Amino acid sequence: MSRFNLALRLLWRDSRSGELTILVMALIIAVTSATAISLFADRLQRTMTTQTADFLAADLVITSPDVQPANWITKAQALQLHAAQTADFSSVLIENDEMLLASVKAVSNAYPLRGYLKITGGDYSEEHTVHQGPPAGQAWVEKRVLSALKLKLGDALTVGEKKLIASQILTYETDKQGDFYSFSPRVMINDADLPATGIIQPGSHVHYFFQYTGEASALQAFNQWLKPQLNPSQRMLDIHKDRPELGSALNRAERYLGLSSIIVILISGVAIAMATRRYTERHFNATAILRCLGLKQRDILWLYGCQFVVLGVLASSIGCGLGWFAQQALFHLLRGLLPQHVANPGLLAVFFGFIVGMAVLLAFALPPLLRLKQVSPLRVLRRELEPLPSSAWLVYGLALGIIAVLIERYTGDAKMTATLLGVGLLTLLVLGLLVYGLLRVTGKLLPHLNLTWRFGLQGILRNSGASVSQILAFSITLVAMVLSFTVRTDLIDNWQKQLPDNAPNHFALNIFPAQQATFKQDMQALDITHSQFYPVVKGRLVEINNTPVQQVVSKDSQGESATHRELSLTFTQQLPEDNKITQGTWWQTVQAGQVSVEQKLATSLKIKLHDQLTFTVGSQQIKAEVTSLRSLDWDTMRPNFYMVFSPGTLDAYPSTLITSFYLPEAHKNVLNTLVKKYPAITILEVDVIVKQFKTILLQLTQAINYLLYFSLLAGFTVLFAAVYATLDHRIQEGAILRTLGAKRSFLTKIHLLEFGLLGFIAGVLTVIMSEAIIYSLYTQVMHIAYSPNYYLWLVIPIVGSICVALAGYSGIRYIVNKSPVSVLREL
Amino acid sequence: MHTHADLALKNIIVAESLGKAVQTSEGVLHILRSIHLCIKSGESIAIIGESGSGKSTLISLLAGLDTPSSGTIRINGHELTTMSEDGRAAMRNELIGFVFQSFQLLPSLTALENVMLPLELGGDKQAKSLATALLTRVGLAHRLSHMPRQLSGGEQQRVALARAFVTRPVILFADEPTGNLDSKTGATIIDLLFELNQENNTTLILVTHDQALAARCQRTIKLDSGSMV
Ligand SMILES: Nc1ncnc2c1ncn2[C@@H]1O[C@H](COP(=O)(O)OP(=O)(O)O)[C@@H](O)[C@H]1O
Ligand SMILES: [Mg+2]
Repeated sequence: MSRFNLALRLLWRDSRSGELTILVMALIIAVTSATAISLFADRLQRTMTTQTADFLAADLVITSPDVQPANWITKAQALQLHAAQTADFSSVLIENDEMLLASVKAVSNAYPLRGYLKITGGDYSEEHTVHQGPPAGQAWVEKRVLSALKLKLGDALTVGEKKLIASQILTYETDKQGDFYSFSPRVMINDADLPATGIIQPGSHVHYFFQYTGEASALQAFNQWLKPQLNPSQRMLDIHKDRPELGSALNRAERYLGLSSIIVILISGVAIAMATRRYTERHFNATAILRCLGLKQRDILWLYGCQFVVLGVLASSIGCGLGWFAQQALFHLLRGLLPQHVANPGLLAVFFGFIVGMAVLLAFALPPLLRLKQVSPLRVLRRELEPLPSSAWLVYGLALGIIAVLIERYTGDAKMTATLLGVGLLTLLVLGLLVYGLLRVTGKLLPHLNLTWRFGLQGILRNSGASVSQILAFSITLVAMVLSFTVRTDLIDNWQKQLPDNAPNHFALNIFPAQQATFKQDMQALDITHSQFYPVVKGRLVEINNTPVQQVVSKDSQGESATHRELSLTFTQQLPEDNKITQGTWWQTVQAGQVSVEQKLATSLKIKLHDQLTFTVGSQQIKAEVTSLRSLDWDTMRPNFYMVFSPGTLDAYPSTLITSFYLPEAHKNVLNTLVKKYPAITILEVDVIVKQFKTILLQLTQAINYLLYFSLLAGFTVLFAAVYATLDHRIQEGAILRTLGAKRSFLTKIHLLEFGLLGFIAGVLTVIMSEAIIYSLYTQVMHIAYSPNYYLWLVIPIVGSICVALAGYSGIRYIVNKSPVSVLREL
Repeated sequence: MHTHADLALKNIIVAESLGKAVQTSEGVLHILRSIHLCIKSGESIAIIGESGSGKSTLISLLAGLDTPSSGTIRINGHELTTMSEDGRAAMRNELIGFVFQSFQLLPSLTALENVMLPLELGGDKQAKSLATALLTRVGLAHRLSHMPRQLSGGEQQRVALARAFVTRPVILFADEPTGNLDSKTGATIIDLLFELNQENNTTLILVTHDQALAARCQRTIKLDSGSMV
């Protein structure tokens, strides 16, 4: 115990002398960012899992075109699961000589098992939240249904052959699914009325959803029992596939944030390693004396180990606390993206931040600290005896290990971890060599420079290993900042630039062929320019060359999701604007049975020219031969289609029409006129969606920037660590120089020059790296025009040198103010 | 510019009632008390005394490395105590050379660069040739580009001697120059020091423990607990 007291006392002394400040700061920064991200990810995870159930209306949902097998029901009952089911299908409703294609959903009494519905008796202010569907004999409808069919609440509504009462307006449906083009209005009925409608016949197109909730273990057992029995047409729903717009943005945010926090940890680690190195070197003498006094190597290690553990615990605890606040701020920044109610964080997530702190300390501080064990007691007599540096394997191995574990945690993917790690290492190695080479070349200049410059430069060259790591640490931070700033602004600017001024910003969907002529006339009367009208037939791709698609597609591909939903199929004589034929030829003569497939989907589904595709439309099958592949630009905001058929193939099937048009912000009120006159037509305000997209992008980058501030802080600790690591040496050198007659201003100049140069080199490196990354990102990934950012070349090196010089300046005052008399005394 | 003839037999260093006290946790510590000293140009003086008697403190004051708590020092007629630190630095560069017990070479500079350094700080254009000449004089012509850590203690001290004499200083301060060397190497260094001193007609102020060495100087000053005896 007395040894522990000694350790504490030594720690107390060292902390009072400011030895450990930088180390503690760096550790706190690392832990703060790690805790914040871990808390953030954890809360998101919890939120997603609880809300997932809401979004699917149950914990486990199977969709199937056929009724539920009886043994599923018995099995679910045996496992004491709650079960509900819905049947979705389209039906044309006719009332008051008006016709409307509605999307009917027949629900069982237990629906919804999770989440809720919202209904109102006409007035939107009196919305009710309910946990049950309509009772038998009633229909709850979207408001559009009433206006389209000239009904009011309480009127009779006939679905198929069954007369029901339209009793409530449905305003919210927990598990509403739908893509862009399928916005037919909802009619919800009780499934007790389903047989009486007479709509469900063998072969009719129905989606059944079988929903279950219950104990996690029971669900798990049911899941395992069920999975092998599913046939290709039956599928388990998954939040990530079935509500992709929700999952992916947040998932990506989480991943980016995680990876940026690794940058923070890495940079802090460098600072910790540097600070520990100085600490170690300053303790060589004391250690030699302790060894002389009889402490064994093991005791030495224990003594210093204790101090570092105490330090780690303190700093990590502070970091955890700060991380909590940082995480709150993160949620605030991302509030627009997140669900209203976010789950509380688990204690484990805080603990993770703590563990990261201890691990980082271990990985980066242990190797230099181990040198103390090697200090020879003979050093008491011979000061020049220095212990060997720790093996490079140990130094880099430990650091790499912890970084690898962290990346693995955030990506959850071994291959990706290896790739990131490999690419990162290689980049660092190449850059390190580059900087090292650059320094060597500059070294050649030395004899030709004047005294001030020579000393300034020599400061960098003297310890080129440390200089290289400082330059890298600082430029990585700067690169991250530059990227997040330029890419964001360029992306948004470019996107806006690409849309011509009067590009369509609205879609009109579900136009019935009979309405087309008058709708066109009305648009012309309102002075609205519109794109071509395309017929839309809903259909599903089922076979490629007579092989079911499910056997062809790879999991999680774009193709897979396309086979799970109905596609909007169209037919036209002319190649749509902006589409380009990449393979095959566009039909010159009208010949039915041809289809042109969008190129990327074709690649994903492995569709080649002259393949035979089979589609189901309603209960019928259509076959067509692929005669061309097309590329198209999804950003144009014109109706775009994966599958375009030659005229004559789909004409016989019921279709609606779609068009897009441009409406300036100021003329939005025109929409009301249109909506009133054509209640069944759905108008999508794309400009609103674009705006939303922009805010999402902005919020995401804000959150990432926020983390970059941490990395900037960490970058500064590296700088300070570097300045202080060499401070003793600089002070001694300064004293000698002053004894020989150097002025203070000379000392200040050479040090400012040294740090400024360091920052300048880091700045130049930053510009080179960011330009390279931006160039490849723009040309390879985002396909936007690249032009060099001249202002970067100007600003970044200057900013770099100013930042580093400022950090250096804090140390310079010790050097200049130290009395030269110290050369007469042993340090 | 001072020439040595001008300074002949002038009082080059005059110290009056010099005192140095520092504040410590146990109160004020008087390191030096009322030192009166008058050193003529070209004189050689040994300062002896026990360890801790204040020898290093005394020469640090005389050389303007530190400021006294009381009293005055005049070097070559200039009052040190009223000069700024940078003024004293310029004066050191011009008039004073140093040799230390622990050599105090800059580890990142070569032997030649170390010797050139005081000339360069003074803006001398012929730094390289002068430094090379002096290193040749001390017998290190073949070690010009070596780093201090590649040199033995004796060789390092010879570089330090070259550095001290390269500016042709009027006064040379040597603080136990052989303290870190074995006796044989120490003897050669001392011989070299006296030779160079003779050649340059420098005023020498030498701190030492060694009575024999002190006897080679024209005058001896003994310090005991901060006072001259
Ligand atoms: N800055 C200081 N603070 C406290 N004590 C000092 C200081 N400088 C010197 N001393 C003390 O003054 C005494 C004389 O030191 P010094 O001149 O180095 O002696 P010498 O060179 O004769 O061995 C010593 O006891 C030393 O500890
Ligand atoms: Mg001394």
